Amino acid sequence: MRFIAAIAVFTGIALAWESVDGFAPLPTYKPAERKHWAFQPRGAVKPPALRDPWVRTPVDAFVLDALRKNGLAPAPAADRITLIRRLTQDLHGLPATPQEVAAFVNDRSPKAYENLVERLLASPRYGERWASHWLDVVRFAESDGYEYDTHRPDAWRYRDYVIHSLNSDKPYNEFLKEQLAGDEINPDNETLTVASGFNRLGPLRKNAGNQEVASSRTEVLTEMTNIVGGALLGVTLGCARCHDHKFDPIRQSDYYRMQGYFAQTQAHDIVVATPEERAAWKATVDPLEKEMTDLRRQMRRATEEKKGEILTKLEALDEKMPLPLTAMYAVRNEPKDMTPIHILGRGDYRNKGERVGMRPPGVLLEDGTPEMPADSAKPRTKLAEWVIDPANPLTARVYVNRLWQNHFGQGIVTTPNDFGRMGTKPTHPELLDFLANRFVEGGWKLKPMHRMILLSSAYRQAGRSPLEKVAAEKDPDNKLLWKFNKRRLSAEEIRDAMLAVSGRLNEKAGGRSVMVSIDPELIKDLKRPQYWQPTKDKTEHDRRTIYLIYKRNLILPFMQVFDSPDTLLSCARRDQSTHAPQALELLNGKVSNDLARSLAGRLFEERKTTPSRIDLAWRLTAGRAPSIKETALALKYLGEAPEDREVWKEFALTLFNMNPFLYVN
Amino acid sequence: MAEHIRYNRNRREFLTDCFCGTGSLAFASMMAKAERYNPLAPKPPHFEAKAKSFIFLFQAGGPSHVETFDPKPLLNKLSGQKRPAEFGDVEYQNVNANSRLLGTKRTFARYGQGGIEISDLLPHQQKIADDICVLRGMYGDMVVHSAAQYQLMSGRVIPGFPAMGSWIAYGLGSRADNLPAYVVMPDPHGAPEAGQPMYTNGFLPAVYQPAMFRAGKRPVLNLELPDGVTLERRRKTMELLRAINETNNGEDTEFAARMSAYDTAFKMQTEAPEVFDLASEPQETRDLYGVGKPDTDDYGRRCLLARRLVEKGVRFVCVVAGGGGAETEWDAHSDVEKNHARMASLTDRPTAALVMDLKRRGLLDSTIVLWGGEFGRSPESERGSGRDHHNTGFSMWVAGGGFKGGMAYGATDDIGLKAVQDTMHFRDLHATVLHQMGLSQDQLSYLHQGRRERLTEVHGQIVKAILA
Repeated sequence: MRFIAAIAVFTGIALAWESVDGFAPLPTYKPAERKHWAFQPRGAVKPPALRDPWVRTPVDAFVLDALRKNGLAPAPAADRITLIRRLTQDLHGLPATPQEVAAFVNDRSPKAYENLVERLLASPRYGERWASHWLDVVRFAESDGYEYDTHRPDAWRYRDYVIHSLNSDKPYNEFLKEQLAGDEINPDNETLTVASGFNRLGPLRKNAGNQEVASSRTEVLTEMTNIVGGALLGVTLGCARCHDHKFDPIRQSDYYRMQGYFAQTQAHDIVVATPEERAAWKATVDPLEKEMTDLRRQMRRATEEKKGEILTKLEALDEKMPLPLTAMYAVRNEPKDMTPIHILGRGDYRNKGERVGMRPPGVLLEDGTPEMPADSAKPRTKLAEWVIDPANPLTARVYVNRLWQNHFGQGIVTTPNDFGRMGTKPTHPELLDFLANRFVEGGWKLKPMHRMILLSSAYRQAGRSPLEKVAAEKDPDNKLLWKFNKRRLSAEEIRDAMLAVSGRLNEKAGGRSVMVSIDPELIKDLKRPQYWQPTKDKTEHDRRTIYLIYKRNLILPFMQVFDSPDTLLSCARRDQSTHAPQALELLNGKVSNDLARSLAGRLFEERKTTPSRIDLAWRLTAGRAPSIKETALALKYLGEAPEDREVWKEFALTLFNMNPFLYVN
Repeated sequence: MAEHIRYNRNRREFLTDCFCGTGSLAFASMMAKAERYNPLAPKPPHFEAKAKSFIFLFQAGGPSHVETFDPKPLLNKLSGQKRPAEFGDVEYQNVNANSRLLGTKRTFARYGQGGIEISDLLPHQQKIADDICVLRGMYGDMVVHSAAQYQLMSGRVIPGFPAMGSWIAYGLGSRADNLPAYVVMPDPHGAPEAGQPMYTNGFLPAVYQPAMFRAGKRPVLNLELPDGVTLERRRKTMELLRAINETNNGEDTEFAARMSAYDTAFKMQTEAPEVFDLASEPQETRDLYGVGKPDTDDYGRRCLLARRLVEKGVRFVCVVAGGGGAETEWDAHSDVEKNHARMASLTDRPTAALVMDLKRRGLLDSTIVLWGGEFGRSPESERGSGRDHHNTGFSMWVAGGGFKGGMAYGATDDIGLKAVQDTMHFRDLHATVLHQMGLSQDQLSYLHQGRRERLTEVHGQIVKAILA
């Protein structure tokens, strides 16, 4: 195994930890345990040699080969109107404008499709859309969760970092290294420090009273460790926190050795507030602090009864404390405060077992590969280098699978965070390896991978097949891609699309997150309602959804009903559920009704007759002209009151609720 | 996540699925199938169920067991002294080595044929003594609110896991087609510490999220027509929407399911408001719950509404008492007497009324009523006359749904510090209530990132001794 050899060299600084008492012995693995497909080195795969005009890019050869072997055939190509809508939603998360549709449909260039893909990939809207896939996986949010749900006012910097990284096509290996170890690479580089905030994205429990320091620290380390397993390696590492993994060859000691890489890691806030902001903050905090200091002094010589009163006063003052000063959320190593890492019985911080150093999961190493001491310098750089080692069998496979999933609706492995035995087997194992090889060989760049997939015939298929009936029997889940999977827009896309077609979208990119006005009853659901301060500039409320605040204890109802993740655990793939509260939200909710009114206004402003308004309405929301039937239905509905804005608002609302708007074919 | 759903699909759903996209069937029959495709369609339990519905009267903040259901004469004797060493140690938020034990000012007496001891703090619940089974040996793992509330609701001390109500909706679907399967009625004073994530569906599909029924003019978000829209206009809008969708692959199952969701939504919108209309209840019933009396009006209304919801087939209703800070929760860090007297004055009458009312309507047998908080309170005093959080031994009670009435199960030690006899962890409680709902804690699972997750995480014990 190549990778095993590479690792043996890499961790060659063997220190004599094994011989020290109190340290856990290194586990061994049976050959059968090492055999699982995902732990094998990637094969040197070549695309099947098919001479078929359908094969446009190498992925087509794999797809077509599998279809043929199963007696299936691909669907015909989708029409241009469908393709531009599909591509624009996929890459930008926004609907194509009528002008864009017309330009593409009338483009005579033989490279029209290629040019479209290039235009979309080059736009900054691409990063705004694809960042949301990554933010789901790393459970990005802008508050701590738990009872105080304290805001992280500068967490947007990480979100912007992700968007910029995607837009500049930063190689994925660098992207990961910066996030795991940016502070170790260069503590003075702002981009890198912000990236290192990745290690702090998880929820954080802060309590009043006794702080249970050890318990909280264990939870922090757990968050840091588990995310590397699911998000980067596609291994359910977290399962081995309390006991050896039940299904995969991951020992409990493996888990804690991974945790060892974070033993020195501590939160590090780098204050970036302006002098004015600092002064204003100080003016609020200083009197509170002074009062609290006085109270604490009184506390020392107070009676038990009196102490209670003081404590109550202290808590009341704490409630008044403003949000922390804006700071970059970074990490740094504090070797002096290193947490000794023990194997914890049942994962409980009180049940300390043997100590461990740091080492990647043993099943990916040669037996006996030594661990490194947890106080080694630059521990996370070492972890990152192992994660992004070209020979790591997991990292590239896991990421290209995410790419595939986000383009086709389901991955080659349909359990993207679990490539272990409980996960599903790849539908196209050779394709997966081929993509991963290309990805690594191409310098871990995403855009060439997008191109290879988007330019394929597989991606350009229609959403329906003439062989539907037979194919649906043989392959009901369309695992072999005998047609394109339709998908419902995500929560973000639905809101963004309503903003775009109503002419309200504020395209401003980046910066501080926006808090919109919400139902006061919702604010009551917060323990600290004072944190919800709607952004004063109302034009900000019309920005893309990725720029709205992601607050753990208040997922906006609009987002929640449309399967937006709760940001507490890594979300590898969003559901596409269908249920009544979605209908209530889109028909009766403030968001859609407000934007429907704007769309109606736009139709009135831009067109003068009812038929031409209907025509524009369809071109905006469905990306095409209305059919004769649709026009007739609309005329009938509007005919009774052709100038009544309220009726037009209801009409616009209907369009927001219709399938051609909510789905991409 | 599609892959996960597949694990739990029953045969009928699987067959429905196989029809997907055949494109050859008439729209009407596809609609019929789409209704069956409804993820909230009632599902058969794993075995015969004793209860069809569940009402959780969540006493947020943690009511004191030694002031309510767990008399401790020795605690009164030792009041003012340090805790004798033989009782051992527990971890606290604020209580420390210098703290002194605090006796209760409450007096206990035996009630009902079962002779359960209940304090004079809860005169109304004394009257339902023969219907409730007091669980005196409860314990959880966490001594801070948020984590303890997560564990009570979802079996985990961290947020992100599905709440009981979501699990039950997922396991059994809904019995009502014009109401949600899972309803939470928060306390208008504000949120308990764990906030929104404690009630939610976690990684289960969004269809299992709770409907929040809030106080105020608009109890349910988006249930009312927007301003300026008449029902007549909305009907026409719905007709237009249906007609447009039918011209666009209307025979597609997912699209049909979406249309069916709109029908359900419309039904909810037109029929659900009726359930909120408490004026249709007889005066005697409203008086029973204390509706119209300043103290009990709010909680009384919510308890009465809970009964009405259960009557209409809602699976799980969580009525929250407490929120918005220590003073408006059972979180009696200072002056437990004052705090608990206030909380009891708001909740005691409606609580008892709910059990009585369910019973006389013949609904108690098929409805589990659970009362309790995320923990109890410390035998030691905090801030003079208050009590700290206390997770190592406290009381809850359960009634109806095939549970025995008129009994007390489990015990804490002589000062109420630790559960020592017939102890029940939250996971045992979860396993037992699921069992009564006809659900096996192991079968009711969902594959999430490599683990077959379940409400009880580690296997809970079904406590047979408290089952009728």
